[in-house]
Amino acid sequence: MPIPRRDASKLLACLSVMLMAAACPRIACATLGEPESSVQTDAVQIQGSIKAMTDHEVYRVHEITMPSGTLLREFVSLNGTVFAVAWSGPTMPNLRQTLGQYYDKLVPLAKLNHADHNHLQILQSDIVYQVSGHMRAFSGRAYIPGAVPAGVDLGDLH
Amino acid sequence: MATMTRILSTGFSVVLCLSAISCGGGGNLAASGTTPPASGSNVVTVTVDQGPTVNGSALGSINTLFTSVTVCVPGSTTSCQTIDHIQVDTGSYGLRILAAALSSQLALPLQTDGAGNSLAECTVFADGYSWGPVVLADVQVGGETASSMPTQIIGVGTYASAPADCSSQTVMGEEDTVEAFGANGIIGIGPFAQDCPECANQAIAGAYYYCSSTTCTDSVAALDVQTVNPVTKFAMDNNGVIITLPSVGNAGEDTMSGTLTFGVDTETNNVSGAQTVLNVDDFANLSMTLNGTTPLATSFIDSGSNGIYFNTSSLATCTQSDIDGFYCPPNTVAFSLTIQGLDSAGNPITGQSTGVSFSVGDAQSMLANSDSVLPLLAGTFPGSQTTFDYGLPFFYGRRVAVVLDGATTTVGTGPYVAF
Repeated sequence: MPIPRRDASKLLACLSVMLMAAACPRIACATLGEPESSVQTDAVQIQGSIKAMTDHEVYRVHEITMPSGTLLREFVSLNGTVFAVAWSGPTMPNLRQTLGQYYDKLVPLAKLNHADHNHLQILQSDIVYQVSGHMRAFSGRAYIPGAVPAGVDLGDLH
Repeated sequence: MATMTRILSTGFSVVLCLSAISCGGGGNLAASGTTPPASGSNVVTVTVDQGPTVNGSALGSINTLFTSVTVCVPGSTTSCQTIDHIQVDTGSYGLRILAAALSSQLALPLQTDGAGNSLAECTVFADGYSWGPVVLADVQVGGETASSMPTQIIGVGTYASAPADCSSQTVMGEEDTVEAFGANGIIGIGPFAQDCPECANQAIAGAYYYCSSTTCTDSVAALDVQTVNPVTKFAMDNNGVIITLPSVGNAGEDTMSGTLTFGVDTETNNVSGAQTVLNVDDFANLSMTLNGTTPLATSFIDSGSNGIYFNTSSLATCTQSDIDGFYCPPNTVAFSLTIQGLDSAGNPITGQSTGVSFSVGDAQSMLANSDSVLPLLAGTFPGSQTTFDYGLPFFYGRRVAVVLDGATTTVGTGPYVAF
């Protein structure tokens, strides 16, 4: 039972101002698939604190600690695009915020199957969404396969 | 007072639905479901079967453990309802019941604050969220009773809808029907008391809300108003649980029944005896090592997982698209697993280690038949590379104790699991 999708006009308005953090609505406008500047927007919107940034050879990782203690990592390629987000901790992040335009794409694709409450995976050519865990210990990630820099081990995106 | 406000503002026709959740259809107050065996007042029957019936057919549940729970209006011995197919979950905390499974005549009062706002919860699981008010109920499981216990009611049509920062935590959407939830409710009896202890100190987005007649707001929720592990509220036998299920052959079974015993070392029927005690960390995690490889430091044993979930390149995932998260090896594959206890901070505890073995079968052929007990069902753990999630199949053929944080038994101090 998917939740109602935002109407198209709101989405378009949102996308048109996605570089203007101050103009962003309370939700969306960041961050997967968006410029690195959206990390700041994310931190503000989820009331988190940016903990650290680490440089790897072909990407940078920004870490945001949420009030609950959940750690949100945003992976940025050297061309400045957020190509993956990953999280672990007692609560889930606001996915509408952290997945940005991909949130509305994923909602209609999520479906009940033989799995339980503790696992959900959506594999598409342009977006991969994977989450699992139990109450108080969730872990998950989403990435854009086509935007993952060459040489990056997908196993490192967590 | 909130109730009064709502009565005045919304009219009598919805009084029952607001002041007296729930608003489900039909139902009666007569007891239904399984009757606990006479083997002790602290014992209740648990079953693995096809799940609750919706529109004339069972859901087709797999490796899902159920029991029956009786809820009464606080203080009443007559305004009660027994609800079957409540999922038994050692990976969560608190009792949650679908409104659709509750009689509309059962007037369970809302949990309210001094200003007349009612408490609501956004319960997030990995796949979806469930939203609804917290009510107070006398809860009976077997012969144990928790009085006036905060209990969440999910899917109350007449209650405020889920706030945006609740619904935004998952992509699946609201699990507010028996079909979507997969059970008539869930009883979370893991090794801790609350699902959100940090919510007692600060408002966490997407957790607890106080709702006025018009608006729900992210709120601090004191520990004593939050939904809570029912075991902690029992007058006795309140330090943990023991789940005992029979062994099952690789081929699986149609159904299975066993017992859920409350208390550990509190009665003659729940003595610890000789067993392996493994402490869990603050997130209820253990360390598990598959076939002697790298320890997976955020692993767990969880009756709420319906299979054995871990990542390995040695098994092929199923090609059928709707089960592509499961493994489909052409032949059954055996594995060995070392399980080690962790301290509260997640450090391995020397001396708390034991080995078990398990096998993985072809999910596609297993799921093609109607069995609800599938011990060889396994799949990937999508969210993490450091987790082995040993679900209900772990409990088959074992007597597994889950002891609460801070509780002491003859063999250890919780939080721990023992088997």
